[in-house]
Amino acid sequence: MTNKKVFNWLDERLGLTAIYKTIFERKIPKVNWWFTLGSATLFLFALQVVTGIMLSVYYVPSPDKAYDSIEFIMSGVAFGWLIRGIHHWGATLMVITVFIHMLRVFFYGAYKYPREITWVTGVFLLLATLGMGFTGYLLPWNQKAYWATTVGTSIAGTVPGIGDFILRALRGGDDLSGVTLARFFAAHIWIFPLLIIILIGVHLYLVIRIGISAVPGKND
Amino acid sequence: MSGSHNLSRRDFTKAVMTFVGAVMGAVVGIPVAGYLVSPAVKAQKTDAWVTIGPLDDYTAGQPALFSFTRAKVNGWEKTVNSYGVYVVRAEGDAVKVLSNACTHLGCRVTWQQDQNAYTCPCHDARFGRDGEVLSGPPPRALDGYETRVENGTLSIRLLE
Amino acid sequence: MTEDQKQAYKEKYLRAKHNGEHFFPDTIYKDLIVAFAIFLLLVGLALFVGVASEPRADPSDTSYVPRPEWYFLFLFEMLKFFPGNLEWLGTTIIPAAAVLALLLLPFFDRNPARHWKKRKFALGFMGIVVLGMVALTVRAAVTTPVQQESTVATTVAEKIAAGQDLYSVQCVECHGAEGEGGVVSGVEGLEGVTIKAIHTQDEMYTRNDDTLFNIVDYGQPNLGMPPFGKGYGGELSRSDIEYIVTFMRYSWDDRAELPKEAAQASAIPALGPDEIPSYDTHIAPLVKRYCVSCHRSGKENNNYLMTSYDQVMNSGDHEPNIVPGDLNSNLIRMLHREDIEAGGPMPPTKALKPEYIQLFERWIKAGAPQTTTK
Repeated sequence: MTNKKVFNWLDERLGLTAIYKTIFERKIPKVNWWFTLGSATLFLFALQVVTGIMLSVYYVPSPDKAYDSIEFIMSGVAFGWLIRGIHHWGATLMVITVFIHMLRVFFYGAYKYPREITWVTGVFLLLATLGMGFTGYLLPWNQKAYWATTVGTSIAGTVPGIGDFILRALRGGDDLSGVTLARFFAAHIWIFPLLIIILIGVHLYLVIRIGISAVPGKND
Repeated sequence: MSGSHNLSRRDFTKAVMTFVGAVMGAVVGIPVAGYLVSPAVKAQKTDAWVTIGPLDDYTAGQPALFSFTRAKVNGWEKTVNSYGVYVVRAEGDAVKVLSNACTHLGCRVTWQQDQNAYTCPCHDARFGRDGEVLSGPPPRALDGYETRVENGTLSIRLLE
Repeated sequence: MTEDQKQAYKEKYLRAKHNGEHFFPDTIYKDLIVAFAIFLLLVGLALFVGVASEPRADPSDTSYVPRPEWYFLFLFEMLKFFPGNLEWLGTTIIPAAAVLALLLLPFFDRNPARHWKKRKFALGFMGIVVLGMVALTVRAAVTTPVQQESTVATTVAEKIAAGQDLYSVQCVECHGAEGEGGVVSGVEGLEGVTIKAIHTQDEMYTRNDDTLFNIVDYGQPNLGMPPFGKGYGGELSRSDIEYIVTFMRYSWDDRAELPKEAAQASAIPALGPDEIPSYDTHIAPLVKRYCVSCHRSGKENNNYLMTSYDQVMNSGDHEPNIVPGDLNSNLIRMLHREDIEAGGPMPPTKALKPEYIQLFERWIKAGAPQTTTK
């Protein structure tokens, strides 16, 4: 039984059994199907990470080449259309699952004591997901992307007092340009994903520590 | 809930997890593998006649370098590759055209009149006038091209 | 919440947990099924719906109707309700207030109850907000003006084909069907001007794609070439110009290798010895390539238009130019470079290849059918 020996040796040092027990052996109240939306979102996020990394293998964040490189992904690389298709629709589905997950938590009053912080991290996750949607929309550098982002950033420019500043900060200058594309790309593949991963970590830690909320009864 | 019932339920879930995981892994994993290696599989084939110029421009017995470029689409960009060939003319219309890429690792060889040899700047390989290996590590003689002379104009067939 | 309430909640929760299920295998089983269903849905969407191809970003094309991704539509639509001087209310105050309210929800919602019957106000309020968002999204979707569809070519072969079509319409009357140039005839303002060939090595080797693009886009007004790009008042989008440049590069630059599938797509269909030519398969590609540049509306051409079968058969000041079965039809005589009442030799700059003229003759002899089934 060398396998067992190796495992025990590792377990003694890493505490794998304890981790396994806290995550998988925990008991939770009887819940219904609406409670699967959180894990569904996590699953979608994982899928977005995988397909997103794959897309970055061929994508070039430059106004000259972004469109051509996506064209190449779609018709020049084997299965590129499938990977981009999953990434594209995955984004849409993720927004839906995040939103319904939030509505479910709201409906059951699960944001109340002792889960306030879980809720706050959840709201940040919702915002970060929308941020992913907004930054990712520009990357294909097609007509839709270009004009939607022009208008979207202009909206931020109407903030009283500091609108112009925000607009230039978002676009990296006065116009939508290669600088905008580069910073949206950085936000889309580094900043937001990192933020989301950290927030998911806290969110899940709290979910496991405090326990998932029960479906409220008439007296709750 | 009896123990055995619980156990079988666990095993069942494990089996379903393995199955679902395998299906998703395959549906994503196989395309991803294909996606990554795709450029290695789709090789572009070139078969074209390239005009070198009037044969009379070349002196018999004196290898002369001729350079030309070809544009190729690599993914999303056009790559211009430059080629160098040595035209080695014998008497009459007999002519040999050699690639200047060393057969060892592809460094470009140059004709040295004083040594009567092509020398490679990378690993000191030397090739004779007709491309044969004189010394050094190359595995074979310099690659030659199929040639054609029409109305005194020399062309070579570029096959890749 | 008072300490007692907190204690009571904790005890009750512990009981619920005790009577509950194991995360593994009970809960995870449900999660797994939902995740798998979502996965199948995603792959299905990618397979059967895919991602629509859009034209390249074109800052000069101001006709494009900008729309955000669907989940921002409600915000976008909401702005329609704020007049100019109150715009900041819709763009800043309301979204900021909403986000803040959402974030701080657990801190200002002091109602300890969790069951929906005891939280009618909170749920009602949220319900109205969500309904409002849905309504705004639907309204936005319904009121969006229809975007003018433009063809998007993705592969090199498609680009070359699209470029050839555009070249035939926009460029042939001056530069000739093969870029051979010559003396211009029938073009307002350029009558009798000699235009140099643009398909030569001199041209193709010394101008890269960007240069060619700029020439088409801005024109060379001092040399007589008008601008064609939308940004300078022409008809062509950036994608269109890109297709034309691609077509020129692959057709005339002997350093660029034409992909096999592209060569097949742009070839004029061959005709068997006993086959009867038809307009749709054989004549239309020729007409498109050699005639349409001048023979379309808005051009000087004796009102003879050639953009459809009916027009080719019955239009123009000297109609009919084609009489089925009659090889003395105007069109055939002009193709043979006769100068007749209906007009001079056609195409004006250079005769069609004999095999193409023969194709026209065989077609007219066979009764000028539109389709082969006829």
